[in-house]
Amino acid sequence: MDSRVHLDNISMKFGDFTAVHPLDLDIQSGEFFSFLGPSGCGKTTLLNIVSGFLEPTTGSVNIGNEPMAAVPANKRPTSMIFQNLALFPLMSVAENIEFGLEVRGVSKAERRKVSDRLLELVDLPNSGQYRIDDLSGGQKQRVAIARALAVEPKVLLLDEPLSALDLKLRQHMRTELKEIQRRTEITFIYITHDQGEALTMSDRVAVMSAGRLQQVDSPIELYRKPKTAFVAEFVGENNRLPGKVVSIDGEQVVVDCGAAGQFRGQMGTRLEPGQPCGLYVRPESLQAATAEDVNRLDVSVETVNFEGAHLTLETRHAQLPTQIHVQADQRAYGGQVEQGSTLSLGFQADETVVLPEDRPLETADD
Amino acid sequence: MIKQLTARFGRPMTLVVLLLLWFWLIVLVLLPQLIMIDYSFKPNLIPSQLGGPEDVYTLGNYQTLIGNDIHRTIFFKTIWSSILVTVLTLLVSYPVAYFLAQLATAKQVMLIALLLVIPYWINEILRTFSWYLILSFQGPLNALLLGLGFIDRPVRFLTGDGGVLIGMVYAYILFMVFPLYNAIESLDNNQVRAARNLGAGLIRIHWRIVIPHAKPGIATGCIMVFMLAAGSYAVPALLGSPGSRWFTQIIYNWFFEGGDWNMGAAYAFVLLILCIGFIAAVMKVFRIGLGDIGK
Amino acid sequence: MTSQRLMYWSIRFYLVVFFIYLFTPLVIMSVATFNDSRFPTIWPWRETTWRWFGELANDTAMWEALLNSFIVGLGVLALAVPIGVSAGLFLSTYEGKGKNFYYSLMLSPLLTPGVIIGISTLIFWRNLGVSGGIGLTVIAQTTFISAYVMLMVLARLQRFDRTLERAAYSLGATHSQVVRRVLLPYLKPAIMTAAVIAFLQSFENYNTTLFVRGFDTTLTVYIATKVRTGLTPAVNALGLIMILVTVVLAVAYEVLRRREQNRKDTAV
Repeated sequence: MDSRVHLDNISMKFGDFTAVHPLDLDIQSGEFFSFLGPSGCGKTTLLNIVSGFLEPTTGSVNIGNEPMAAVPANKRPTSMIFQNLALFPLMSVAENIEFGLEVRGVSKAERRKVSDRLLELVDLPNSGQYRIDDLSGGQKQRVAIARALAVEPKVLLLDEPLSALDLKLRQHMRTELKEIQRRTEITFIYITHDQGEALTMSDRVAVMSAGRLQQVDSPIELYRKPKTAFVAEFVGENNRLPGKVVSIDGEQVVVDCGAAGQFRGQMGTRLEPGQPCGLYVRPESLQAATAEDVNRLDVSVETVNFEGAHLTLETRHAQLPTQIHVQADQRAYGGQVEQGSTLSLGFQADETVVLPEDRPLETADD
Repeated sequence: MIKQLTARFGRPMTLVVLLLLWFWLIVLVLLPQLIMIDYSFKPNLIPSQLGGPEDVYTLGNYQTLIGNDIHRTIFFKTIWSSILVTVLTLLVSYPVAYFLAQLATAKQVMLIALLLVIPYWINEILRTFSWYLILSFQGPLNALLLGLGFIDRPVRFLTGDGGVLIGMVYAYILFMVFPLYNAIESLDNNQVRAARNLGAGLIRIHWRIVIPHAKPGIATGCIMVFMLAAGSYAVPALLGSPGSRWFTQIIYNWFFEGGDWNMGAAYAFVLLILCIGFIAAVMKVFRIGLGDIGK
Repeated sequence: MTSQRLMYWSIRFYLVVFFIYLFTPLVIMSVATFNDSRFPTIWPWRETTWRWFGELANDTAMWEALLNSFIVGLGVLALAVPIGVSAGLFLSTYEGKGKNFYYSLMLSPLLTPGVIIGISTLIFWRNLGVSGGIGLTVIAQTTFISAYVMLMVLARLQRFDRTLERAAYSLGATHSQVVRRVLLPYLKPAIMTAAVIAFLQSFENYNTTLFVRGFDTTLTVYIATKVRTGLTPAVNALGLIMILVTVVLAVAYEVLRRREQNRKDTAV
């Protein structure tokens, strides 16, 4: 089944406000693809364009190589799972799941077979006769998935479907969703502002901010090699050392951070000598310095948080404006550091990313 | 508009919705009012005169009203009495609505609401008729008062406007209690408690906290009751006497006894203007919009 | 504390007086039914009798008026419910400059005295060659009863989650399937209540009906005529029957509502 989704020059304007700037995107058949970004970044707008609820200002959507421009939402090979699930409260569980088939005129016996099979798939066997109000949050979630799968869509669109659940259930449902996707081989397009969800489930993630695609990559690449300051700061935790590019040496950049010294890092994206930039280093990349370390930083400890397997240290360097966060194996420092201790930290150049100054972070609703 | 509707309902159903809506608003609501107003500015002519030289717009019908002492007096009396009915109904209903909204338990609310509604499911005529029986010359009220020695001759309650006022207050209580209840119910009880803690007395609590909060409800109730009172035909017809006629009765007479529909239309339009004026005045005094009414 | 106590008792005392005021007339009217007196009264009491019920039953004019009231009520139901539902749907969908104007126009029949609705309807339709009668009564009552239906439907629609419609639509339903399977089932309770209220409003209407009835008589018109000419306790008998029907209906409604509530509570 060809269930590729191709977005060609898609953009969306509401009056004077541009919700989505022109973008192109290819989502593969059977891929678990996520849009990750703060609220107001345009990800829900994109989802509505794919589902057909919104007509894009420019560009076109193709699903499985077929243009969708003239196809209304109820005729598209997509189905959607809504944030509030939108289960029909006056219908039973089975009626909910069978709804899509019922409106297509599928016979009752045929429908019953499908709903029984799907209830098995989502691990709710023999519960077709229940009322929606009788179900728990997690069970409702599964019914919503079954209902969306019943119409055999090429593409399943999920609009933050886990956000209403409590933490435990949310983590459990992640595994389950991934498993269902693996078994059904349907293309999943998943919208979320929760990076944990996006990173654990997705094959690829598109990070969005202010209506623009920041970066489209696998979770590990996003984490290791962010291409923009926004991605570096939005995905995972990061320490940012502001500075200026001194020189460029192949893939590596030397950055001058004033009184804190000079450091070496990977070039995240094109830079020129003299350009203001940020040097990003993850808390877990900061270790006790050894003789070989090119990058060294002396800090004093302000707070120690013991979290079992590891420690997080909030430290400060006298010449840097923000705290430096360090995550360390408890065996490295256990019982040896306390408030006021000084530490000499080192970090590898290939675990450090240098990126140009970004426009100010746009995380608020726009 | 059509785009929003078709996006939700599809084309065939949008057509049905709009046809029904426009039939209602144009054919049932707007056009009849406009034709009535048009009628009121024309003289009463026999069919052969229609379209002739006398078929012109004139203020004659309104001049009749202004020139007729009796009709004018009855008009002002109707206004005055309707205001009186409105105020009395408000006073009688306020404690009940307050009790329902702030003090009663859920069970009490159910019971009282049921008790309130029962008399109102029985129609206005019967409600009024029951007062007619009580107030009649040989009725139980006179018998009671005579028996207790308060009076030594039966009183004719049904001459004058007293009977009409009592009957109207009785007939329209519900239209006051429910809007008041809805408005007071949304008041956070903690506000009242806080005020009491600060030492505010009963009257001050109501005057400064409850009543300002209940403004939209008071306005809605007053508008409904005034409109019902000024436009009532049943109550004055049953409980009034020839000496205490209501403006609606004069209108009725123009139609079905005087046979002058044009004159009747003019009188009816004046009544409509009166009600619109009252609504506008209430909305201005209470500083509320039309959107607050009917909630 | 004592002033609060005083308040507690005075408001209860007031409620008792209030309900005595509300129910005494109905009680007196009912009791007078059984007094064997030409004029309905409870004083002086002549003899207890059932004969007024018999007289009422033999009153063919009353039965005819009752039948007319039913026909008018059903006619209003058939017109006002679709109109009111359409108006509610319209208001819950349309967002734009004209919305306030439409809302005001829809509300206006409720703020117009009933006699004026009757008069304007009478004049307008006479120009089209339609004169007073049952048909015109239905038209005139529909004018304002539609507004009640609209308000009730709108109140329920305001609590409707429109993602349900989108969900149905994205599952492949057509517009009319969305309406039939999702929207109307949701609105059903409000439509049922509105239908009952519309019928009751029509049944008890007098001020509007008076002008448009032509030579037809509805039950309220009949009672009013009886009160002014030829009043006998048969009218009380009619009133008593209407009270009993009302109480039975009200209690039945309450019992049903509670049973429904219990069913919901135990289901969870």
